[in-house]
Amino acid sequence: MMWISGGFVFRRGTSAYHKLDPRVKLLISLLMFVATLLVKAVYEMAVVIAFMVAVAAVATVLKRVLRTMAFTALFSAFIFGVNMLATRNLFSSTLYATRFVAIVVSTSLFFITTSPDELEQVMKTFRFPRDIVFAFVTAVRFIPVMMLDTIQIMDAQKSRGLELEKGNILRRVRNMIPILIPLVVNSVVRSGELAEAMESRAYGAVPRPTSLVAYRAGGRDVAVAAAAVLVFALTAYSFYYILPLHLP
Amino acid sequence: MTEILKIDGLSFKYPDSPRKAVSDFDLEIPEGEIVALAGPSGCGKSTLLRTVNGLIPHMYSGDYSGDVLVAGTSVKGSSMRDLAQNVGFLFQNPENQIFMFSVERDVAFGLENLGVPRAEMRKRVDEAIDLLGISSLAQRAPHELSDGQKQRVALAGVLAMRPRLVILDEPMSLLDPKTASELVELVEKLRKELGTTFVVVEHRLDLLVKHADRLVVMSSGRKVIEGSPREVLFGDEAESYGVSVPAVTKVQRMLADDGAVPRDRLMSPPELATAVRGALR
Repeated sequence: MMWISGGFVFRRGTSAYHKLDPRVKLLISLLMFVATLLVKAVYEMAVVIAFMVAVAAVATVLKRVLRTMAFTALFSAFIFGVNMLATRNLFSSTLYATRFVAIVVSTSLFFITTSPDELEQVMKTFRFPRDIVFAFVTAVRFIPVMMLDTIQIMDAQKSRGLELEKGNILRRVRNMIPILIPLVVNSVVRSGELAEAMESRAYGAVPRPTSLVAYRAGGRDVAVAAAAVLVFALTAYSFYYILPLHLP
Repeated sequence: MTEILKIDGLSFKYPDSPRKAVSDFDLEIPEGEIVALAGPSGCGKSTLLRTVNGLIPHMYSGDYSGDVLVAGTSVKGSSMRDLAQNVGFLFQNPENQIFMFSVERDVAFGLENLGVPRAEMRKRVDEAIDLLGISSLAQRAPHELSDGQKQRVALAGVLAMRPRLVILDEPMSLLDPKTASELVELVEKLRKELGTTFVVVEHRLDLLVKHADRLVVMSSGRKVIEGSPREVLFGDEAESYGVSVPAVTKVQRMLADDGAVPRDRLMSPPELATAVRGALR
């Protein structure tokens, strides 16, 4: 849980990177993601990861990204181990293990610097249906509410003698039932109330609702996007044609 | 004055319920009034309110007879879209009527749905936010707000749509006494400045009676008492229907029975104190 919240939950920031158009941030993350899939050597992966760390530093989220990398490393150690057993190739095993870290970091960089509002904007850009976008928006909006709900239910059930931390795994899973049932019931009631409130505020009145905030990519956004594509192309080109160092 | 709301012989029964939730209900509310609606839980208040903004019969079906007219137009025949612009509904739990990640986006929600152009929307959102004194919260996320603040945000979202009639369903149930009395003052201010009509469901009448023009008491789906707060609260019936008569009014009633204070109007605690002091001298 902590790992997910640290690595993927948006926190407000004021860096230049945060202020970029969300679509540009998505582009940069996608390019980094693709880059991790393209590289064929460990030193190339090092270059890509170094680039990610640089982006994280610009976005002032270096600490969080490094922590995410550390957590991911635990999983990638497992990947490394399995690969070593299967292939007995140190380099390819290292490549696979680091690739996992790099993929997580490229995705995480997008999510921790992009507010839910901006995510909504990205979905609208790609012409997701209004209902889907709205379902996503409310789902994210109610995460903190549901978390609070869960804590309250857990406290209530514990105060009635439920022992969550006792017994073997099976027993512990069974112990979650008295938490889950009220949580589900709460959510059903909540969704009914939400539906009423949506109707009362004219949800679905017109096929193309307007939006209070306009997201327009400015000159800086275009420049950054162009630079990102250029850097990506140059790097890919040099990996394949100029510097095929044939290093491991 | 014209009636903003006219309920005419309304009865409604939910499909799986043995008895009517609202039966033979009549009510006429002139524009610009503040009407308090009281009655025990389960007396049909919530159902009645939902017939006013059209959730019944548009979202919930059932046996519906009689008619509800908002600004002269039948609710049955209007679309939710038109109703949403005439009738604002503030639900009991503000949490479940805030949809967006930032206060200002949420206030704009209804206007976005109506397809209001951006410039006009910006103007109306800023107006609503100013009116409720929440400009400092405009960029906050819902989970960063207190219950009282959420209530204001939800009300701003309702008011941005510029409804002529606003329904408040137990708006004070989650508020502490100070925030609750601020809300009541706000309602009075909006009525004065915008001429908005309010129907307020509330158990705690002590704050509301000062500004309410009318008090309606419901029981078992029927209207059992209607009158000015003074008539209703000085009468003998109200308490038998579980209406909590404010303590100051009870004292005034007892003193008035002895002829010590007048009974021509409801007195606030300071007024009553002054009257008692005068009588003692």
